[in-house]
Amino acid sequence: MGFALILPIFIVGAVSVATRGAYGGFDWGFDLTGYRQIMFNEGWTGEMEFTAQYLIIIFRTILLAAITTVLCLILAVPVAYWIASQPGHRKSILVFLVTLPFWMSMILRVYAWMIILGKGGPLPRFLGLFGAPEGMTLMYNDGATLAAMVYTYIPLMVLPVFASIEKLDGTLIEAAHDLYGNRWVTLRRVILPLTAPGIASGAILVFVPALGAVLEPILMGGGKQMMMGSLIQLQFGGGRNWPFGAAIAITLLTVVMLVLIAIAIRSARREMKQ
Amino acid sequence: MNKLYSATAIALCFGTLAAAEGKLNLYVWSESIAPELIEKFSQEYDVDVSVDGYTSNEDLLTKLQAGASGYDLAAPSQHFLRIMIDEELIEDFGASELDAYDAIDERWRNQWWDETQEYSIPLAYGSAGFAVNTAEYDGPTDSLKYFFEPESDLAGKIAMLSYPDEVIGAAQLYLGIPFCSEDPDEMKRVLDLLMAQKEHVAAYSSDNIEGRLSSGEVAAHFWWDGEVVRAKGDGAPVEYAMTKEGLVGWIDSLVIPKGAPNRDNAIKFIEFISTPENATAQMNYYAHSSPLEVVEADKKYTKENAPALYPEVPVEMSRSCSPAAQDLVTRVWTQLLQ
Repeated sequence: MGFALILPIFIVGAVSVATRGAYGGFDWGFDLTGYRQIMFNEGWTGEMEFTAQYLIIIFRTILLAAITTVLCLILAVPVAYWIASQPGHRKSILVFLVTLPFWMSMILRVYAWMIILGKGGPLPRFLGLFGAPEGMTLMYNDGATLAAMVYTYIPLMVLPVFASIEKLDGTLIEAAHDLYGNRWVTLRRVILPLTAPGIASGAILVFVPALGAVLEPILMGGGKQMMMGSLIQLQFGGGRNWPFGAAIAITLLTVVMLVLIAIAIRSARREMKQ
Repeated sequence: MNKLYSATAIALCFGTLAAAEGKLNLYVWSESIAPELIEKFSQEYDVDVSVDGYTSNEDLLTKLQAGASGYDLAAPSQHFLRIMIDEELIEDFGASELDAYDAIDERWRNQWWDETQEYSIPLAYGSAGFAVNTAEYDGPTDSLKYFFEPESDLAGKIAMLSYPDEVIGAAQLYLGIPFCSEDPDEMKRVLDLLMAQKEHVAAYSSDNIEGRLSSGEVAAHFWWDGEVVRAKGDGAPVEYAMTKEGLVGWIDSLVIPKGAPNRDNAIKFIEFISTPENATAQMNYYAHSSPLEVVEADKKYTKENAPALYPEVPVEMSRSCSPAAQDLVTRVWTQLLQ
């Protein structure tokens, strides 16, 4: 079972060092051109030169995923806290409601946002009441991309945060107040440290899939700036350069792995101290 | 629980009873084959037909290259058909021996993508250009200039496809640069044109084109002839631009992937869809021109009501580029969207 999960990654790894087929595909062999291509390419003058374009795309993708994660966190903590404070039966209904969007295809959810933000949609019309120009659209910008991204991934943040807030011992919060800790101090020094495991797993659950987002940047953001997902797709499709596509995917995987390992080591150390 | 088991058992029995003699698995452009023809074929030949769709030639090529697709029929465009023959991904089924071959219009027989016509029977052809929403834009559309170097009334209100091949092909037509150029200087000019255009482009997307254009979200959109004809038929205020520099052409043909499990049924289907009656039904559904003989009297789209399908400007078929030329295309595209 574990082997079946790992096998595709090994194949992608093997493709990333294979030699490239003329019309896509690949031949088994050993060739590191794919990895070199991430930084060095033939320029328009015909000489090999340092190219930042792929690094820019990689950086932009990580930034988008990070902002999505932070926004999800900021929105999810109060929601999770509120759900946890509800009586039992209402709690389970609310948790169910949080998972509800997952029952619908992701494409449909994005299309729904296109209608909400698009020309003549509810939101531009509402803003029109306050003097926004008629026929305005809120589509095709980074804000639109982020709105759809946060909406898509926020349940993955709410659920683990809710789980750890629910386990929180209420007497500790009372104790904090007894010791003259105001709301902010209580949040910062009691609630956040105790819910850190939930926040960490929520952050990973949101960040990792957000790195591969393709639909939202294209449909909502207008696809004017490439993301990692579409870059890899381009290399396997129109670019007909499978080893390069695989090399980008493996590089991304390595970055994610390093980040996750660092987080794991840090939390293991913290537990040892306690 | 027992009930569930017996229900399943009964369903399985009926399932087997109802199962047809043979199977046929199509992998074609999404929503490209008339459903009534699938139904008709399925009944006439007692074959269980399943249809999967793709939205780009690259998807199809990648799937066939990955091997053992399990599909019996596919419909690549001419330049990808050429690659598939060269890469030995499709079967030589002696297409020129079939009745379907005689139904092909002379000008589409034995072209460079299948010189001896052993591998393919063409199904539909058309072009890619730009369409405008006539409620948003009433200016001239007779040149690619209005699209690539938009003036104030189109600036910021145009959208492109997210497929480099069509977009760059059109830019090459406009600049008078041959398709598949291997000259970096020429391709740099293509990049410069597209970069200058980019600030006026609202979106690069191949999805939801009809919604974006007919709602007025954008005033002009790169699109395909038949889709414009269909949208116009549904009442959308759209018009296909006849640009004097020409249009990017394509022709899709039915082919049989190597190792297709139901090759005989695939050939039966090709013969079936190539009869004048069925070819007419197919054209009326798909709204793209038919390279096969059709019943003129039953044609839904004529020169009068669908001029987009009968262009009088030159139509240049996209070519299958050499790896060097394709790399330049990819480089232009990546730098455009970096």
